[in-house]
Amino acid sequence: MNDTLRTSSPQPSPPEEERESTPALDDSPSERTVAGCSRFASRVMLLAAAEGTVSAAEGAKQPEELVATLTGTDEAAAAAACDAAPEYGAAAVRPLALAMANPDFEVARRCKRALYRIVRQAGRPGAKTEAAAVEAKLVTLISEGERAVQLRRDLLWMLSEIGSARAVPPVAALLADKELREDARCVLTRLPSPKALVALRKAFKTAPEDFRFALADSLRARGEKVEGYPSRKLVATKQTTVTPKK
Amino acid sequence: MNSPVKRISRRDFLKSSAVTIGILNLVPSGVLARPGQPGANGRFVIAHIGVGGMGMTHLTNMLRFQKEEKVRIAALCDADDNRLEAAVENAGAGPTPYRDYRYIIERKDIDAVVIATPDHWHAVQTVHACQSGKHVYVEKPASVTVREGQAMVAAARTNKVAVQVGAQARTAKGGWYTCRAIRNGIVGKVTRVSCWHYANPVDEKPVADSPPPEGLDWDLWLGPLPWRPHNVRYQPANFRWFLESGGGQIRDRGAHQFSTILWSMNADNQVSFTVEATGKAPTRGLWDCPVDMNVVYQFKNPDWTLEWGQPGNKVGQTEFGNVFWGTNGKLVLEWEGGYRPANPEAINFKLPPGGQEVYRTDEYEDFNMNHKADWFRSIREGHLRPAVDIEIGHRTATLCNLGNLSYILGRKLVWDGQKQEVVGDEQANRLLSRPQRYPYVL
Repeated sequence: MNDTLRTSSPQPSPPEEERESTPALDDSPSERTVAGCSRFASRVMLLAAAEGTVSAAEGAKQPEELVATLTGTDEAAAAAACDAAPEYGAAAVRPLALAMANPDFEVARRCKRALYRIVRQAGRPGAKTEAAAVEAKLVTLISEGERAVQLRRDLLWMLSEIGSARAVPPVAALLADKELREDARCVLTRLPSPKALVALRKAFKTAPEDFRFALADSLRARGEKVEGYPSRKLVATKQTTVTPKK
Repeated sequence: MNSPVKRISRRDFLKSSAVTIGILNLVPSGVLARPGQPGANGRFVIAHIGVGGMGMTHLTNMLRFQKEEKVRIAALCDADDNRLEAAVENAGAGPTPYRDYRYIIERKDIDAVVIATPDHWHAVQTVHACQSGKHVYVEKPASVTVREGQAMVAAARTNKVAVQVGAQARTAKGGWYTCRAIRNGIVGKVTRVSCWHYANPVDEKPVADSPPPEGLDWDLWLGPLPWRPHNVRYQPANFRWFLESGGGQIRDRGAHQFSTILWSMNADNQVSFTVEATGKAPTRGLWDCPVDMNVVYQFKNPDWTLEWGQPGNKVGQTEFGNVFWGTNGKLVLEWEGGYRPANPEAINFKLPPGGQEVYRTDEYEDFNMNHKADWFRSIREGHLRPAVDIEIGHRTATLCNLGNLSYILGRKLVWDGQKQEVVGDEQANRLLSRPQRYPYVL
């Protein structure tokens, strides 16, 4: 594990409840600003500075160089850059996510792997501030409707690994998106925050009839008793064209 | 078949050796006396779910059992009509073909299923089969997540069915000779077991996503996995090279090798350990399993180390194998104890006075047949604990899955096997399960 960017005497992370009550950080261009984001961004930067991770998260290493290497033609350099991606921290989340839409599928795959490395490094024990910063970037990206569906799907699953209560509203909003709702449901099933359960309950009351069966499954998986909507997991639906041998 | 030891039935073996080897922890009271399940006194009615690759080997085995009038093959199932058609052709008249395994779950006349689908389907299909009262033979590795494995064990126990995991070395001669020799001190106290294995392949010629081929139901093939476009690099057998579906060599051959090692080390109940993995990711292609990989598992009380080396330190002549390093020397096991014979030192090993005998079944020379015969016997005898019972399969898969988890997270994990959780690592614990795409859920 690469720990070189962490301070030798880390400060304690903020309490989970404090982190979860903080508004979402929007790192996107100013026209996409969400109320409260700048306050949250400032807070994350302050905490990162206190932890000694500010240079890793936002400072010394410029994500542009990472993306340039990953999108370049030198395969060995790209592989090394992928390994080093966690050093760029949250600042690299947006550029990497956007590069995941690169028409060159090999470039897109590299960038996805690099971004996963950042998410997994940020999710390590004792790195809540880094996790919060990465989470904030992912939260913004999944809400950008102009992005490709598969990209947002991948980002949702990344968010499922580190998301806190703060991720719940934007993920829950995607339960209304027919193309993303199943992934959003899965993510809410995984997020441990009680707010995820509340969001699933709320969605169950208003979702289209055909989607309620899946939501009921999520609720049952989280220990809820659900009336009606029996599981369809054993309902055979697929027909083969192969006939028995006479 | 010539056997150097008196043949011991698994039921007798379980009874006689339960105290000395601590197997009571695996076998709740009352189970040993259970009568056989439906079909135990006649021909088992069998269905095959997944009939490509290893699934075709299982079908070939079962056709032989059918010829011996021990089973009747009633159904064949695959999400790929092309594979299904080949299996129907192979099996001849009789079995009904299905694309959707849930038709098989519905059928009350079917006693048992053989599951050889991609790994990401194993748990869901096993649990559903158990819940419908069917016995299960499921390919290794048992599961792709720890929580899936737990659900499989629970389903087998709750529904009182036998679930055999297809790691055949525990019913093969190579594994038996090795286990017997190691347990009885051929190399003294074993402190380290190292594995060597060749690399995971690299997708050297990556291709773009494309529509699925005619006859393949991509939605059904993906099943519990998150939706994504079809790519020819996923299937038929290439699911193995994706961490989320196949898990690479450590979950393929590792599931065999680790099973034999745990058996030999008498460590099925040594469920807690630390695991630390490093690996070299592929530089191109869709496959994401590490090309090279090194994983170290540290067990305590008794203390020993298990090392997965890819390539590791190749001691034997074959492509993969492992070495038991003891206080009095070393013993090599090439492959995993199934396809290859044991080391001559193990074969010639004489059990010392008061030594510990090891369960052995010799119904068939072919170890694939033998493993299935052991499964049938566990049903007929009513104890429902085949040689690689699902609990053993789950523990083996846990080693494989946590090795991969440590690799993807890039950090050491401390595994509490009693609580079935990673100590102090919330992200790792989230990844012990994966929410499944509806309706392909446990």
